[in-house]
Amino acid sequence: MPNSKDMESPVNTPGVLRSVPSGKGGGPDHDILAGCRDGDRGAWRVLFDRYSPIVHRFLASFGVPPEEREDACQEVFVAVYRSLTHFRGDARLSTWIYRIAARYASRAARRRRVRTMLSSMLLREPLPPPAPDASERTERLRMLDELIAKLSPKKKLVLVLFEIEGLPIEEVAQIAQCPENTAWSRLHYARAELMAMARKRLKTKAAGGREGNA
Amino acid sequence: MSHRVWPDGDDPIAAEVRRALDDAQQRLPDNVTVRRGWAAFDARPAGRRGARLSWFAGGMASTAALALASAALLWPRVVQTPERSHVAQAPVASPASAETRRLTLEGGVEAELQRTSVMRLEGSGPRVEDGAVRFKVPHRRPGHPFVVRAERYRVIVLGTKFGVAVNGAGDRRVDVDVDEGVVEVWNNDVRLARLEPGQRWNSTPPEGAPADRDGTEKNRDAADKVIEKYELPVMAPAKAPPSPVVETSLQLRSDTRHRRSSMHQERKERQERQVAVVATPARAPAGDSPAAARAALAAGDAPRALEIYRALAQKTGPVAENAAYEIGRVLNERGQSAAAVTAWRRYRSDYPAGILRVEADVSIIETLARASEADDALAEATDFLRRRPDSERRGEIARVAGDLYRGRGDCRHAVGAYQVALSASRARDVLEASSFYRAVCLVRTGEGGVEALRGYLRSYPDGRFKRQATDLVEQTTKTNH
Repeated sequence: MPNSKDMESPVNTPGVLRSVPSGKGGGPDHDILAGCRDGDRGAWRVLFDRYSPIVHRFLASFGVPPEEREDACQEVFVAVYRSLTHFRGDARLSTWIYRIAARYASRAARRRRVRTMLSSMLLREPLPPPAPDASERTERLRMLDELIAKLSPKKKLVLVLFEIEGLPIEEVAQIAQCPENTAWSRLHYARAELMAMARKRLKTKAAGGREGNA
Repeated sequence: MSHRVWPDGDDPIAAEVRRALDDAQQRLPDNVTVRRGWAAFDARPAGRRGARLSWFAGGMASTAALALASAALLWPRVVQTPERSHVAQAPVASPASAETRRLTLEGGVEAELQRTSVMRLEGSGPRVEDGAVRFKVPHRRPGHPFVVRAERYRVIVLGTKFGVAVNGAGDRRVDVDVDEGVVEVWNNDVRLARLEPGQRWNSTPPEGAPADRDGTEKNRDAADKVIEKYELPVMAPAKAPPSPVVETSLQLRSDTRHRRSSMHQERKERQERQVAVVATPARAPAGDSPAAARAALAAGDAPRALEIYRALAQKTGPVAENAAYEIGRVLNERGQSAAAVTAWRRYRSDYPAGILRVEADVSIIETLARASEADDALAEATDFLRRRPDSERRGEIARVAGDLYRGRGDCRHAVGAYQVALSASRARDVLEASSFYRAVCLVRTGEGGVEALRGYLRSYPDGRFKRQATDLVEQTTKTNH
């Protein structure tokens, strides 16, 4: 008999109390949905644990700044709470939540644009740029965020859902509320634009670095 | 290693974009953020979550209230309103009544103020701003202490009679003395003194110096005299504020505008004097906000975020509460687990029924378990399970308790804890791990472990402990044969 003391001890394993990872936890969505509709707090907790990290990531990729993300995530779940009774179950629950999050993120982006415009009109001091971060990963993410922010909202949505969220194109089309071919087409153009911008940016950066060295 | 189809090619730019997309895919929030999100979501009243019409009704009601309030404020009047407050009682008709005023606070706490004292009733408890106040606190349940703030100190009690005085001029000395029971004086995360009946403590300059316990003993006689007389430090007439008004935030409206403005002026002057003599680092600098702290964290400037949260925690209301919790979180992320636990415990004592109370409990247990403080973690976990039979975190905590018992070799209790986890949790990882480790413990105690392991394998045919469970079944069966 093997010594069962040698077995993995989760006490010292990071993530002892890790929330349920996306797509792996609990029962199927319809059980949770039924619980949520009955007002079961535990079911809401499972729903929140399962989908809030995904919503958080989606909002981050969609350009919601870090200081607004938690509130934005809250708003998305409040909208889920309000509308759950209207969810017919034709689409997957995740698709429906993504659609709500996308709608919220687009609205928030519009509000941010208006705010920026107003503050520039009122000659307020513009927001300071984020502090430089030595971390290569943070730098890469910042570059990606800036490039994605320059895409049009429709292209941005398709690119984020397909390339970052890893959804199949039929689900992307459902969320974007367009035919699949349109989703493919938007994805194609979004990819091309993103790569063109990345090339330009990285070449400029490399040239700047060479000049600095010279 | 990236498995992306796009962008293809070996050029460095495509590789950089691939890496950036992979990084973006990993950009998930940490557990604490998720938990805090849940706590905030869960705490929203159902009406606020559900009803849209209530926005309209609420908007109308608040507009009307605002209009009425504006009219009331702008209406010319001669105010003769007697001082009134739903918590204040009439002055005591005793020989000393001209000099003192008695208030009954929430929870039956009695406060006796001298004529020149200024006390503010804040959301988290009273703050003695000037002069001397004596408190009589009925016994309170453990974990629900009564907290009095004075300058940057907190006096924490569970049921006692004691006095707090803030010297109104110069160095703003804070004095605390105890008649009955035990009180503690804290400054941020540091306990400065634990006082027993008859003992005194004061914040002698330089500020923040720890309690002078020897000095306390030496001054016992003098302190006794003060206590016997029931007269707290007498201020020099020149330094005492001339207004005889007892001010609390609940009583401001009952005063005349003239008196209010003169008091405001006096307080402003006092503050200016105070600033001139002593720097007050605990005050939040203008512009500090939770958003600024989050931005500092996002920029990787944890010390700045910590500084902002500490300043915010000195305030009152939900912002202060959240900041008090966040201090622990930031410290924990910086690897200072002991300091983080202290901060969360302080949060618990300040906000015993706070919105993040459960999160604080869970964070403490999790941090202690990770720091291998098994005894402390187990004590916290069992306490949590006893106190919170309806918590949705019960399953997770029971599983941790099971792991801790198992780590100590106490398989019998571990089985019980895992059983609780299995009945209380709906999360798959908790259920799976509890099912497997319960079976392992049953193998160790020789109580049908093999059957339990087979049950685990049936329930989770592709589970993450499949190999271990299969090996254990085979070897246990061989040994039995």
